[in-house]
Amino acid sequence: MISLRGLRRTFATPAGRFDALTGIDLDVSAGEFVAVVGRSGSGKTTLLNLIAGLDHPSSGSVTVAGRGIHELDHDQLAAWRGRSVGIVFQFFQLLPTLSVAENVMLPMDLAGKVPARERAARAAALLERVGVADQAGKLPAMLSGGQQQRVAIARALANDPPLLLADEPTGNLDSATSAEVFALFGSLARQGKTVVVVTHERDATTGVTRTVTLADGALA
Amino acid sequence: MSLPVRWRKAVRDLRRRPGRSLLTVLALAAGVFEIALVLFAYGLLQPELMSMYARTSPASATLNVEPRTEPRGGSGADIPYDAVVDSLRALPGVALAEARPVIVARVRRGPDEWQPALLHVVRDFDAQRIDLFRRDRGAWPPGPGDVVLERTGLEVAGAGIGDSLTFRLEDGREVRLRVAGTAHAPGMPPAWMEHMVPGFIAWDSRARGEGSGETGQLRIVTEHARDEGYIRERSDSARALLERNGLAVTRVNVPPPGEHPHAAQMAAFRFLLLAFGILSLALSAVLVAAMVHAFMAEELRQVGVMKAIGATSRQVAGIYLVEVALLAVAGLVVGLPPGLWLGRAYAEFSAGILNTDVSHSPFPWWVLGVVLVVGLGLPLLVSLAPVRRAAAIPVREALAEPSPPLSRLIAIDAWLRRVSWLPRPLALALRTALARRARLALALALLGTGGAAFMAALNVAEAWNDAVNADFARRRYDLVLSLSEPTSVAALERLWSEIPGVARVEYWPGANPWLLDSEGVATTNVSLSGVEPGTPLVAPRIVAGRWLAPTDDRAVVVNQAVALRGAMFSPGDSLRVRLRGQPVAFAVVGVARELAPMPAAYAPRAAVLAATGRSPDSARTARIVLERHDEAAQRAAARTLEGACERAGLPVAYLQRMFDARQAILDHLVIIYSVLTLASLVVVFVGGLGLASTLTLSVLQRTREIGVMSALGARPRTLASHVWLEALFVGLLSWIAAVLITVPVSWALEQACGRIFLRAPLDFHLSSRALALWLGLVLVLATFSSFHPALSAARLRVREALDWT
Repeated sequence: MISLRGLRRTFATPAGRFDALTGIDLDVSAGEFVAVVGRSGSGKTTLLNLIAGLDHPSSGSVTVAGRGIHELDHDQLAAWRGRSVGIVFQFFQLLPTLSVAENVMLPMDLAGKVPARERAARAAALLERVGVADQAGKLPAMLSGGQQQRVAIARALANDPPLLLADEPTGNLDSATSAEVFALFGSLARQGKTVVVVTHERDATTGVTRTVTLADGALA
Repeated sequence: MSLPVRWRKAVRDLRRRPGRSLLTVLALAAGVFEIALVLFAYGLLQPELMSMYARTSPASATLNVEPRTEPRGGSGADIPYDAVVDSLRALPGVALAEARPVIVARVRRGPDEWQPALLHVVRDFDAQRIDLFRRDRGAWPPGPGDVVLERTGLEVAGAGIGDSLTFRLEDGREVRLRVAGTAHAPGMPPAWMEHMVPGFIAWDSRARGEGSGETGQLRIVTEHARDEGYIRERSDSARALLERNGLAVTRVNVPPPGEHPHAAQMAAFRFLLLAFGILSLALSAVLVAAMVHAFMAEELRQVGVMKAIGATSRQVAGIYLVEVALLAVAGLVVGLPPGLWLGRAYAEFSAGILNTDVSHSPFPWWVLGVVLVVGLGLPLLVSLAPVRRAAAIPVREALAEPSPPLSRLIAIDAWLRRVSWLPRPLALALRTALARRARLALALALLGTGGAAFMAALNVAEAWNDAVNADFARRRYDLVLSLSEPTSVAALERLWSEIPGVARVEYWPGANPWLLDSEGVATTNVSLSGVEPGTPLVAPRIVAGRWLAPTDDRAVVVNQAVALRGAMFSPGDSLRVRLRGQPVAFAVVGVARELAPMPAAYAPRAAVLAATGRSPDSARTARIVLERHDEAAQRAAARTLEGACERAGLPVAYLQRMFDARQAILDHLVIIYSVLTLASLVVVFVGGLGLASTLTLSVLQRTREIGVMSALGARPRTLASHVWLEALFVGLLSWIAAVLITVPVSWALEQACGRIFLRAPLDFHLSSRALALWLGLVLVLATFSSFHPALSAARLRVREALDWT
């Protein structure tokens, strides 16, 4: 599913050039549930951004589902993400002026993959799947952190992508809710999704099929 | 089918921040309002101004005539007008002819207070052919003891319909006429502007007759009524015909074809209206750009999220352009109706000033179309760049906390260290303002443009005022007295001795000879005045050559209006005029620039006396200098002089106070000042809105920083003062930008307005009052605009601020 070869990302800073990733080679098979762990500043988020196409590598290649995404431009990446990737952020990043259901429907609206007349029903089903169907009509600000994250997961599943990426999805949640979220990811992996989760909480990585450790921009 | 989710976001975003949306709508509405006002007034006035004068069937030429055999001062009523008019109508090329004699008189306004009046004698009030006027109110036509005043003359005369007015005629005879009604003569300037009472009397009016000073006047309309050359040719033929029929033609006036007497004023008005309309457009565009920039900065994180979940740049841009379109529509709804309403009111006000009305003007639908296109199109056009820029931003950058480039902050901090004596709060405010160039640039552009327009309005108004005052300062006399007949200088000297406060009197012989071209053909009249070369009473502004010297004989200084077929005179040229039927040449030694648009020339007194055959021991006209020169002194002296002349049996034809003459010119500029004032007010409002928007964004972008400062102990008052200092700094910078912009803008406007209205560019004038006023205003605006953002900063809760994302 995911193949990284010689992946390097360097940032120019006033203090000089900084190598966030120093040549990563990594393969993730379809259906795997992979946790990427490491200290702050180890390059975890940078790695996830490159896999998601949110950033461009300085060198190397990123191949996802047979597609070399490092060659795509911004708009092509956006369109590809809409169909192929579901992203879950640490701070949920739900749009505040849309209801819970509308947040889940937005990716469908953008990608155009799901017919318009089916979107509302699909959103309802997804919210049911993550256990927040009763919050469908509310605005995100009215939900708890755990509920918002579940909605974010439902949004990530909107276009039924084969790949789910999550950046510190439990960073803002208590331990119990974190465990529930990880359990949800596990069930999605068992249903055939490829799930890659970035976390600094080594202890919370229950149910993962593999743990990848990053240190100073390289695989440890 | 329900609305797609992204369009629902577009609508909900606007509802989420009602204050911000309202501010944006008001800003857009202000721009729509001013553009609608300006264009609608223009759209109503323009066709009316063009057609109004044409509808009056204006005379192509006016010929003043008198019977050749009658002594000077005889009545023009003895002229066989019917036969004369018939013969004129039979002339090839003359389409219409009509007799309309005039009586120059004065009407009493109060004890010893008289106002100039001009009575037009009308053959048939219901069968006019030329220079048409129509019934306004009251009786029609007037009887022998009546007068119908031009409707604007009622107030100047201080009378109402039914009142009786006393008119003093040339021979001193007074005749009382009842104001039977009013007429509307669109071809005449309003009476209050000319400081003169125009009226119409019947052919059998008792104001006519010997001693009335009636001037025979014939008016013609030629074929090819727009061809000035053709008109002059036909006028010359008419003159020759009249002279063959025993009439002396004393004056032929050919006004610019198709141009209302106040055409120049109207042109200046239209120019200013359009100029400020365009400035308003520019201001509105900058304001919209500033607000959209602020709006997109706030939305950056959501842009990143949408792109992360699959939105292309185009889809993201589409959402925000729809939001701009919705705001633009709201701006149109709010701004258009009051703009149209006030535009009509302003058109009616302006039309009244020009003695016309716009009640019959067709609705200018094109204005509606333009305003709709501009009101909707302009916000979208100026939003395109900031929206596309935000939509194209890489996801990683959009999701990161927005901050200015570090290199820029380092440079700013290095500069601030050099001015370490600055108080820390001020230094922080400067840092904030300078850190975001785009936001600062937009704020400066907005306030700078607005301030430039505001100051330009004041600069032009003051330049005009200065030009008028400077011109009148060169005429150093207070009163101009013109008697009905020449009187001995000795008698006049005895008269002045009775009037307290008279410091000096000079007698300037004058004439209105024909200006002759190189072939001896008469072209236009020139007002020739004979002055002592060393006189302190007049010092025209010499723009070429020199003023008269004591050794000059037949020398002349002409003003800029003296021209032969459009070519101005230069020093060294010969000015040939016809005096007493004979050509007389004067050597041009200088050219003066005067406000008066009439051709005028100054020659040595002795030369004019010799050329006109007059005695130096008698005079008709005197220029009087008083010991005090204020309005009250001139009024008092004029009243005393009227009484003294009456007791001495000296009929006064004309007595002008120079204060009134100056005021008459300034009154012509009322309409211009109104445009300038109106434009300035909207500018101030729009500028304030824009600055408020910029400051609100600044506070938002510094939310976390404010939270940190608050956590470190900064008091709410301190946080609010940072915002206020930032506002003052931006205001001060914008004032500098406004001064730089207003210099060329004011120069261009002063050049254009001067050329249009005064036939010569105004001197460049930068008003220190305008500079100081705008500085004060912009600092006040900055304070008021910062109030709400400062309050927001002061009220931010630390926890919320630190958690802000």
